[in-house]
Amino acid sequence: MKAPRSSMGSLLAAPAVLYMVVFFVVPSLILFVYSFWTAASYKIVPDFVFSNYLNSLMSPLFWTVTINAILIGLVTASITLVLAIPVGYYLVYVSRSQVILYLILITWFSSYLVRIYAWRTLLGTSGVLNTILIQAGIVDTPVGVFLFSRFAVAITLIHIYLPFCILLVVSSLSEIRKDIVDAARDLGASPLGAFFRVIAPNAASGLVGAFMLTFVMVAGDYVTPQMLGGSSGQTTGLLIADQFRKTGNWPLGAAQAFLMFLVSIVIYLAVMGIGRATGLVVKRRPARKAGG
Amino acid sequence: MTIRAPVIEITAAQKMFGSFQALSDINLSIEQGEIVTLLGPSGCGKTTLMRLLAGFEAVTAGTIRIDGKDCAGQPPERRPVNMVFQRYALFPHLDVFENVAFGLKVKGTPKAEIRERVQRMLHIVQLDSFANRYINELSGGQSQRVALARALVNGPKVLLLDEPLAALDLKIRQHMLVEMKRIHAETGATFVYVTHDQDEAMILSDRVVLMEKGRIVQVDRPETMYAAPKSLFAAKFLGETNLFEAAMASDDASGMTAVTGSGLRFHSSIVPAGELRGKAIVSIRPESFRFNRDNDTTQSATGQVEDVIFIGSRSFYTICLADGVRARVQVQRSTRTSLPKPGEKAEIFWDSENVVILPGS
Repeated sequence: MKAPRSSMGSLLAAPAVLYMVVFFVVPSLILFVYSFWTAASYKIVPDFVFSNYLNSLMSPLFWTVTINAILIGLVTASITLVLAIPVGYYLVYVSRSQVILYLILITWFSSYLVRIYAWRTLLGTSGVLNTILIQAGIVDTPVGVFLFSRFAVAITLIHIYLPFCILLVVSSLSEIRKDIVDAARDLGASPLGAFFRVIAPNAASGLVGAFMLTFVMVAGDYVTPQMLGGSSGQTTGLLIADQFRKTGNWPLGAAQAFLMFLVSIVIYLAVMGIGRATGLVVKRRPARKAGG
Repeated sequence: MTIRAPVIEITAAQKMFGSFQALSDINLSIEQGEIVTLLGPSGCGKTTLMRLLAGFEAVTAGTIRIDGKDCAGQPPERRPVNMVFQRYALFPHLDVFENVAFGLKVKGTPKAEIRERVQRMLHIVQLDSFANRYINELSGGQSQRVALARALVNGPKVLLLDEPLAALDLKIRQHMLVEMKRIHAETGATFVYVTHDQDEAMILSDRVVLMEKGRIVQVDRPETMYAAPKSLFAAKFLGETNLFEAAMASDDASGMTAVTGSGLRFHSSIVPAGELRGKAIVSIRPESFRFNRDNDTTQSATGQVEDVIFIGSRSFYTICLADGVRARVQVQRSTRTSLPKPGEKAEIFWDSENVVILPGS
């Protein structure tokens, strides 16, 4: 075999590229094409209109649920990340134990729906939280706002996605050697200072990735908002799901999905921008050849 | 010499990891400006001792005083020591200048002062023109210099070096040893240097702290430790040596005598570390044997040359003395004296100041 280096490289990359094209690029493109079609009485008609986008953008409902989704997404992803970092730090640098990691992952063995119902039980008017508050004499009548609110949605989503976020944090921290943390401490940084000056900049891409993946999954989750969100906790994910499941307006759903996709990109850019401005995210220069 | 308080004073320090005794009964004081190496095989506790000094670990018992102050409970960032890590531990997201400036910046030093001190330090380690290079653009030797500069720029009372040359290849290692001595002279800092490499320890140190199994076995100047090891471990760990099993024969004003089972007599004028009785082990360095008689030489043995290894400036002879007792003899190349050839009979000579008698097991 005398294939030139470059063609050999493409050949080796081909399976991965093919996989991505078949299972990711093509479906996304189909959805993108759909978003310009029209729907009439549960039938999808090929077309080229912008009305799906324009109608969504002009609909107050779309804005309400999208802002809701963004808020729930940002708050949930931020809290999840903040909770995941200490756990990840402990797992990577202090305990170095796989057992705890597996214990965290075991929580995933319980059904997603079961956990949502568990929170309904905990937060409901006759739930554990209200019972405690009443028993403790803090409130006289059960508090109704715990359930069917953004609060309920956020706390449930944090609970569900925290193990996932911990995994992402662990993988991004494990690339950072403990001795640079020691070096930072040795040079006068406090434990928190070492985190912000050394760990955060080096783990930045991984941590931003963890944040964004959590955000995308949380903002796109449509089961939890449906079960716990009430009228104030509905999100775009639910709206999009309804277009596909109930009204049968796939083009509108596709357009709204792409708008959410844009929102995610804007938020990613904003997070990176904030990171750069605060110095937590540093652009690493590509390596030049080492000198003698 | 003026008498000063030691910059490091370790008293009865112990360290346990769970039920494992990593360090026991460590007593050591280090003077301002010294280069002290902690030398020992891996697992002897030398790195643990260094991490105790840096503040990454806490003593289980005993005290460590740095610059006169008991540093129990003091975290690494509050200790007047800085460390050079084994694999440099440079910050990959910062360039050379920012790496060196890190400590000063954390302490809120004014910008102009940071610039000046960092540049001066980069000059000392001869990296003036590398200030804006990133870490992944540096060679091993350059990374090592950055690590040194990053620690020294803070003006530590003590610089801790954890096997700093272990990751470098031999040629750069030898060069860096010379550099390290020069940098020590220029900065006047106290160096505590951890290594398992006896050559590094001998070349660099004012004093060597030899450790074995969590204990300090001997603290001495390198020459003294080489010439008069106080234990079999010290004799074997530093340099090469001949060991002969023997029994104590006599002990008089001029020294002691031990005799091997085959009747070889070794007389030593070195004052032993402890009481010697019964079984003994005699240690003589290969270069302490000679083939030519000196005027005042009193000790000798005859044997047969089994093997000769010629390595340029030196040759190594294996001489079979009596019933299978072998001596390794190192001689300098010489065109004046004729040296024995393999198979020939040879007489070897040695002096009592080169005979070390150690307690046998």
